[in-house]
Amino acid sequence: MTISWVQAAILGIFASLSSMPGMAGSTIGNYTLGRPLVGGLVCGIILGDLKTGIAAGVAMQLVYIALVTPGGTVSADLRAVSYIGIPLAMVAIHSQGLASTGGNAADLAKSMGTLVGTVGTVLFYGTATMNLAWQHIGWRAVEKGDFKKLYVVDWGLPWISHFFFSFVPTLLMTHFGSSAVTALRTALPMDGIPMKTLFTVGALLPCVGIAILLKQIVDSPIDFIPFFVGFTFAASLKLNLVSVTVISLIFAMISYKLDMAISTNKQVASGSPSNITDDDEDEEDI
Amino acid sequence: MDNTEIKKISRKTLNKSFHHWFYGHLTVFSQEHMQTFGYLTSMLPIVEELYDNKEDQEKAMKTYTAFFNTEPQLGSVIVGVTASLEEARANHGGVDDATINGLRAGLMGPIAGIGDSLVVGTLIPVILGIALGMSDGGSPLGAIFYIIVWNLLGYFGMRFAFFKGYELGDKAVGILIGQQGKAIRKAIATVGGMVVGGVAATWVTVKTSFQLTNASGKPYLVLQDNLDSVYPGLLTAAFIVACWWLMAKKNISPIKVMLLLVVVALVGVLVGFFNPGLSY
Repeated sequence: MTISWVQAAILGIFASLSSMPGMAGSTIGNYTLGRPLVGGLVCGIILGDLKTGIAAGVAMQLVYIALVTPGGTVSADLRAVSYIGIPLAMVAIHSQGLASTGGNAADLAKSMGTLVGTVGTVLFYGTATMNLAWQHIGWRAVEKGDFKKLYVVDWGLPWISHFFFSFVPTLLMTHFGSSAVTALRTALPMDGIPMKTLFTVGALLPCVGIAILLKQIVDSPIDFIPFFVGFTFAASLKLNLVSVTVISLIFAMISYKLDMAISTNKQVASGSPSNITDDDEDEEDI
Repeated sequence: MDNTEIKKISRKTLNKSFHHWFYGHLTVFSQEHMQTFGYLTSMLPIVEELYDNKEDQEKAMKTYTAFFNTEPQLGSVIVGVTASLEEARANHGGVDDATINGLRAGLMGPIAGIGDSLVVGTLIPVILGIALGMSDGGSPLGAIFYIIVWNLLGYFGMRFAFFKGYELGDKAVGILIGQQGKAIRKAIATVGGMVVGGVAATWVTVKTSFQLTNASGKPYLVLQDNLDSVYPGLLTAAFIVACWWLMAKKNISPIKVMLLLVVVALVGVLVGFFNPGLSY
């Protein structure tokens, strides 16, 4: 499997649309086209192997299922994961002769995607830095009262940043990377230490994605309880995600009503500290 | 400004403002001014409609040159609130620069917190989780499902937040960061926690190949089976908690944790703890 210049160029356009400050806006760009699952679909169509594309996308999506970018700090660049990582992983899966929907293909895809994604953060900082120049033009327009120019600054000029930091890197890396990946097969046998390690890393990496999300909601060990309840539902009771979500709603409702009861209690008995056991009884009355 | 007629932003202009935000809040992102230009472009139609002369327009636009960054989906509510405040200012409603910017600065932190855990942390993983199940085995169905469901929820959710913000004006602040807002945030964190637990157990698998064999080569201890009989998914859960501990308690960056996992994987493969069991 090889990637032609035309295919590489189309991948480059999708990379420009889908990155974190992407040209399709964040709802359609970053949160739709940038998700590896959707990237897998797009790459599958472009490279003409839908099944392998989706399978690689599914595998990589796991690593980044919970990619939060608090305050504009990124640990991985999704344009690189979805539009450089997935195409290269597809080539690798083909050249290693793996079954496209097997677990081994998935682990290979995860490792490759993460490697490319981590390196790809350079693209994110590159785009953001080049945008400073357009913002500078914007500030001068604001000073002069030339407000119409703001549209050019916000919607037009960033395409130039993306040409350099999304389009060109994707074009070159997917076109030339595919032959490098094919050469890898002869260099690294599947049962050797490097490949075994690569596959193991692929299985371990989703733990980081989940942990990043937990960081947002867990402060003290007690906050781990909902996580483990959900984990137990799925791992031991084999419930699917929708079922787990539905069950969690009842706990959310109790938590909300309890909190509201405590705060009304506090207002009524102004000054005196509210008693938890009192609140438990009150809760049923609301 | 001289006439006594009350100025009102037209529906058409509000729509325009919303769409400018929906599309352009992050397009010209930089580390210095993250969503500031997105904010400027979405306030411009409103300012142009409310003020006829250029000087008033310039004065109003200056307000929105202050730094802005939040979770953009839920953050639509803030743009809506300022649209209503700008309308009040145009009608001499006792609103000034400081009021608007104080409110913007006060809202963007809490909204980012709620938005990250509600939208990015819970909603998207849940839809993705469902979609992943549908695409298991290489079917495009899950990806298509995600594209449709997320974009409908994203667009109409943001639209709702924007217009609700405009409708409530500064009353939205109390709801968002008051007592009720806090209770909602805690309740959402519970859903988030459980869903993430479900996602982890469903989609993450860490397995060990470690086993002890007797003289005739038959294994008498398969570690993975023993661990699972204690608690299904024990090893997976342990790795996740370890990663959380390194990042949350030791302040190690995600990239360094990933590099550490590479080392763990290498050592694990060398001692026979991990073995993906592959061959050409």
